[in-house]
Amino acid sequence: MSTRFEIEVNGRSRTVTVERGDPAAAGRFLVNIDGRQRVVDVRRGLTGALSILFPDDGGASYDVAVVSSGRGEVTVHLPSTSLRAAFNGRRARQAGTPGSDGASGEQRIVAPMPGRVVRVLVAPGDEVVPRQPLVVVEAMKMENELSASRNGRVKDVQASEGMPVEAGKLLVIVG
Amino acid sequence: MKILVANRGEIAVRVMRACREMGLRSVAVYSECDRDAQHVRYADEAHLIGPSPALESYLRIDRLIEVARRAGADAVHPGYGFLAENAAFAQACADAGLLFIGPSASVIALMGSKTAARQAALRAGMPVVPGVEEPFGADVPVDAIAAAAAQVGYPLLVKAVAGGGGKGMRGVDNADELPAAVRAARGEAGSAFGDASIYLERRLDRPRHVEIQILADLHGTVIPFVERECSIQRRHQKVVEEAPSLAVTPELRRAMATQAASLAKTVGYTNAGTIECLLDADGRFYFLEMNTRLQVEHPVTEMVTGVDLVQWQIRIARGERLTLDPERALTPRGHAIECRIYAEDPDRQFMPSPGTIVALRAPAGPGIRDDSGVTAGSAVPVFYDSLISKLVGWGPDRPAAIARLKRALSEYRIAGVRTTIPFFRWLLTQAEFAEGRFDTTFLDRVLATRTEPFSPASDADEEIAAMAAALDAYFRVGAAAGGQARAPEGAWKRAARVESLRS
Repeated sequence: MSTRFEIEVNGRSRTVTVERGDPAAAGRFLVNIDGRQRVVDVRRGLTGALSILFPDDGGASYDVAVVSSGRGEVTVHLPSTSLRAAFNGRRARQAGTPGSDGASGEQRIVAPMPGRVVRVLVAPGDEVVPRQPLVVVEAMKMENELSASRNGRVKDVQASEGMPVEAGKLLVIVG
Repeated sequence: MKILVANRGEIAVRVMRACREMGLRSVAVYSECDRDAQHVRYADEAHLIGPSPALESYLRIDRLIEVARRAGADAVHPGYGFLAENAAFAQACADAGLLFIGPSASVIALMGSKTAARQAALRAGMPVVPGVEEPFGADVPVDAIAAAAAQVGYPLLVKAVAGGGGKGMRGVDNADELPAAVRAARGEAGSAFGDASIYLERRLDRPRHVEIQILADLHGTVIPFVERECSIQRRHQKVVEEAPSLAVTPELRRAMATQAASLAKTVGYTNAGTIECLLDADGRFYFLEMNTRLQVEHPVTEMVTGVDLVQWQIRIARGERLTLDPERALTPRGHAIECRIYAEDPDRQFMPSPGTIVALRAPAGPGIRDDSGVTAGSAVPVFYDSLISKLVGWGPDRPAAIARLKRALSEYRIAGVRTTIPFFRWLLTQAEFAEGRFDTTFLDRVLATRTEPFSPASDADEEIAAMAAALDAYFRVGAAAGGQARAPEGAWKRAARVESLRS
């Protein structure tokens, strides 16, 4: 009896099946990842932290936390990095990828939190390049630059200096 | 004795820890969104002071004084930020018969003016960065400022007299750029500080930021401490601080300490304060400004001297004499480095990342100090500064301190909000940092050209992540959910349902 999962991590989909291993050894599982079988020894703590050992691989030990971010996505915390994983082809954005949209189409720059617009750095018609700051919003005592994620031309500016904004307010559209 | 802590987050908890060690009762104040905050839970008593925006709560002098009275507090500790450098607050405390744990209102007001502070430094015989000694009010024409700028020499900085944190500050490379910089600095200073006055200062070539902590009692004793090195800055905000500085020799340390103590005496300073200096490549130092409060980076001084600065602030405020050995304060034992852990996303230009911390595991072990203001379940509200913890590593020498910090950063887990932990993991591996080859421009220069994520994942990481996600889902639905017949989507939905029942 095994359970099969389709899991996407960093844009790559992987097939993972999990089945119980030797009944005599509690916590032993056979995990098959993309056709490669591995024996794992797993303990799950009350807080959801997983201890994963690979007995056939020198006993390699991984201390991992898996936290649900809802909508079929989890964030997996490893000692060196954190990764998002999505189940069943739900699109997982790579942790920390700038921009909230795909590789083409409009970029809609919105206020990520309530604050106040302190500077507008572009005007309609301006050509912008990736990472170019478009608007500066002051929030949480910091001035935060909202930047373009890729090349484009500014189509609309709906922000003005001094304007208070709510989270999600559309500020700039780059076509 | 009962102390009201007029602050929130990690610094409020830090001050309350000192209170508890001294057997003093602590009083927390909180805004509406902070009811569940760690400083409220930690305090002996806590009082609501108003709605979430700081202007209606943590910055309301009248409400703070009223709560202090009602709670029967004897003293008020302002922490840093909020009202810590507000002379009117210090005066209001004094008027209400409360001990203000900091310098007098008049000294706060004096050093709050950057030009008055420069003049005080000159009187004390301390070198200042070449610049103008009289501020330019909002109505002074740009022509007059341009004439003064020619005297100061380019490149220079246009700075707000009431400034701080890089606000109301503009760099100018030549005379053509001056009018726009003056306009921008005046506008920013006017809206941020309610005072559009500016002044000019020469811009030093790649200086280091080195500062001297002092303690001064009410009886005329001033003790300067070993310096802190704070050159790792992002947009004029310190992100890493250490003590001692690799750039400071014992002779220079003594010279800076003597001058800093002299300045403190000149202005009649009391309690804890910090004299910030710039250090040029030739080892010459210049007064920059004085901070009339405890600093975020105070733990590195505590770690290398064994002195509890917050406890001494309280003892000084109640009139005790400074009995510290001055040599001990000036002689570092080992090396300490602090990383400011912010709820910010380093991979998105350090955008604040408010939200709820759903899981947290703090590092511990030898030489590690985590001055945190949060726990699992804590909210990081949108209303305040996003500093959630200060992680400090101590070691017998700098490489050992770095090794400990790296180790602690690998232990630190914060889920639910993005943090600057991945950034520090990266920074601590950089050769320039390891070798101490940096100045205040280092970090901004490196970040300007960086596009890669701060914690790149290897193939092995991705594989472990996929396996962990699968195992976690398998456990959550229970072994009974096994079997090919059950669609994984169904299994996930059940897992999600189980999860929602838990929370």
